[in-house]
Amino acid sequence: MHAIIFLGLVLAIYAVAYFLYGRELLERRVVKADPNRPTPAVEKFDGIDYVPANKYVLYGHHFASIAGAGPIIGPALALAWGWFLPLLWVLFGNIFIGAVHDYTSMMASVRQGGLSIMSISEGVMGRRARYIFLVYVWAALILVLAAFISVASTTFESVPTAATLAIVFMPLSLLFGIMVYKFGIDVRIATIVTLVLVFLGLLYSFRVPVHLSYEGWVVVLALYSILAAALPVWYLLQPRDYLNAYVLWIFVGLALVAPLFLPFMEITGPAITSFVAKGAVIGAPRGTPAAGMDIAYFWPMVPLTIACGALSGFHSVVASGTTSKQLANELDALLVGYGGMLTEGAVSSLAVILPAALFWDFAAAAQKAGIPLETLKAAGIDVEKTKNILAFGAADRFYNAYALAQATAWSKLFGLDFVGLFKGFKTFAAWALTAFVLTTLDTANRLARFAWTELMDWLRPVNRSAYRVITNRFVASIIPIALASVLAYPTVEGVGRAYLVIWPAFAGTNQLLAALALLTATLWVYAVLRVRGPVSLLMLIPAAFLWITVTLALALWVLLILPNVPFLYQIGAGSLVVLTLGLDLLLIYLFVRGLLKARSI
Amino acid sequence: MGQRELVGMLLTAVALLLLFYELFVVGFFSGGVGVAKKVTLDAVLISAGFLLILLGPWLWLGEVPVAVRKFVEARTGRSG
Repeated sequence: MHAIIFLGLVLAIYAVAYFLYGRELLERRVVKADPNRPTPAVEKFDGIDYVPANKYVLYGHHFASIAGAGPIIGPALALAWGWFLPLLWVLFGNIFIGAVHDYTSMMASVRQGGLSIMSISEGVMGRRARYIFLVYVWAALILVLAAFISVASTTFESVPTAATLAIVFMPLSLLFGIMVYKFGIDVRIATIVTLVLVFLGLLYSFRVPVHLSYEGWVVVLALYSILAAALPVWYLLQPRDYLNAYVLWIFVGLALVAPLFLPFMEITGPAITSFVAKGAVIGAPRGTPAAGMDIAYFWPMVPLTIACGALSGFHSVVASGTTSKQLANELDALLVGYGGMLTEGAVSSLAVILPAALFWDFAAAAQKAGIPLETLKAAGIDVEKTKNILAFGAADRFYNAYALAQATAWSKLFGLDFVGLFKGFKTFAAWALTAFVLTTLDTANRLARFAWTELMDWLRPVNRSAYRVITNRFVASIIPIALASVLAYPTVEGVGRAYLVIWPAFAGTNQLLAALALLTATLWVYAVLRVRGPVSLLMLIPAAFLWITVTLALALWVLLILPNVPFLYQIGAGSLVVLTLGLDLLLIYLFVRGLLKARSI
Repeated sequence: MGQRELVGMLLTAVALLLLFYELFVVGFFSGGVGVAKKVTLDAVLISAGFLLILLGPWLWLGEVPVAVRKFVEARTGRSG
């Protein structure tokens, strides 16, 4: 298959999905969005969390928040099955589950005064469901935080120029917010000024890399996450995510443009390597029996690798957490919720899977692209030692494939130096990954704070002062990040960085949360909006399929992988997974009961 | 200027000083800040600047922006 065919097919599928499935079906027939109905951002404005935002600013925040390391690391790990199966899961998951789940969670929250999806479950499944859901989400967010702190720290340690850029970018985001909000400078002028400074920062970062140990970065990022999660949204989150969206757009835009300059370059990777991969793909440490065994079956194990790129339960918490509280108009939700998920899918399919498929076999790809092997070696890829993309770790697969596609396209077009371009795009790719991750870090911690506050509401009538202390926004931000840091800090023998062990646990609990949130949204549509017939089945069937898939995958992970990981992760990640599996069964019981009750009304 | 604003202004100044010194003095002349895979004083100082710059301006300038408040008043018809 040629690059241009791959690109055209993926874009056509997304366009059809957005207009037919999103606008015609969900927005007009299911939710019946109304631009005149006031949203919680306006009705409950408080200047901290409930603050209406411009729809493009909000799209930027939402996209940047939901797009963590998941759409990049997940598909890169899943390349162990070839490029076609991960692509299939990404497209199917995006259109029929992920985007539907994100949009309906957001709209359910907007219609319920900005309540989280966990609290919405109370209305359709009873009070117990709400508390079970809240505990589930809080536990799952600890795994999100642990995995992402580890990914970001690993990236900053291995690509220190990306760390420089992240450090420069943060004060520039604040500068942008202060220019717009405090001094009333036109958004366009402020955007141009800040983006020029960011570009200068990118160039400067090549000269001044910031070095720190992995453990040092874990501590710095944990402190960053506490602060950023407790600050008002207008101060850091809105301007930073707005600017981040430009960076991420450039990142995705370049991924779309590169194949246009390599239209007839053929894919060098196998569509399917095997339906079953080694246990190492799903977190078994090297040297343990499970690592070398053929146990990672594509179905049902794929959700343990590909998380946010296809679908993610974390999105429902963002959509009904920070985003729904900033939505100024109901009609903005389609772009923000449904469009945001499809854009994230494009990151997986076009920025990770397509470049990896094109440059899978380095020698063959170099021959097709007319790159001398010596040039490739000067860029750091020696085909004698590194034959194909699978020889790299997950994050390195992404940096190298993305940078190879970009450097090949732009060096051919303008005759620029291939090696220089390759190194520049590698830094850019690493920074884009950490830009995704940092925004998710503080949003995840903010959401953990929301869940914690909701979880503790029973204490308010009992002891008001204790409630105020325990739900103080700094206290509520410190607790989850402290637990996550304990998991992220160590280096795991036989595996390396902690995220490689935590990843399947995070991905699995996250996908299971997606199934539960989609079931809740389906029940809300059925019981509250009273949408009946085939339309409701279009939500119920994918949700049930996902629930079966992920429950089975997580149960197999507990049985086959968990006994092989170090003790800290058995009691840390393992106990959280077992806890969420137990809560999952309770929730499914309450869901069935709620569905039967709604049918009888 | 209140106590909170004063502390915010001081923190902002310290943060900018740390970032400027590490990036443009230490970094520029030695070709980088810190040593790979190690915790050094320079790395600690630039990290402190990175964290303080989040806090300082918020304490110094941090009330709800007028533009956002006006938008809410226009949509709800109520002030504050």
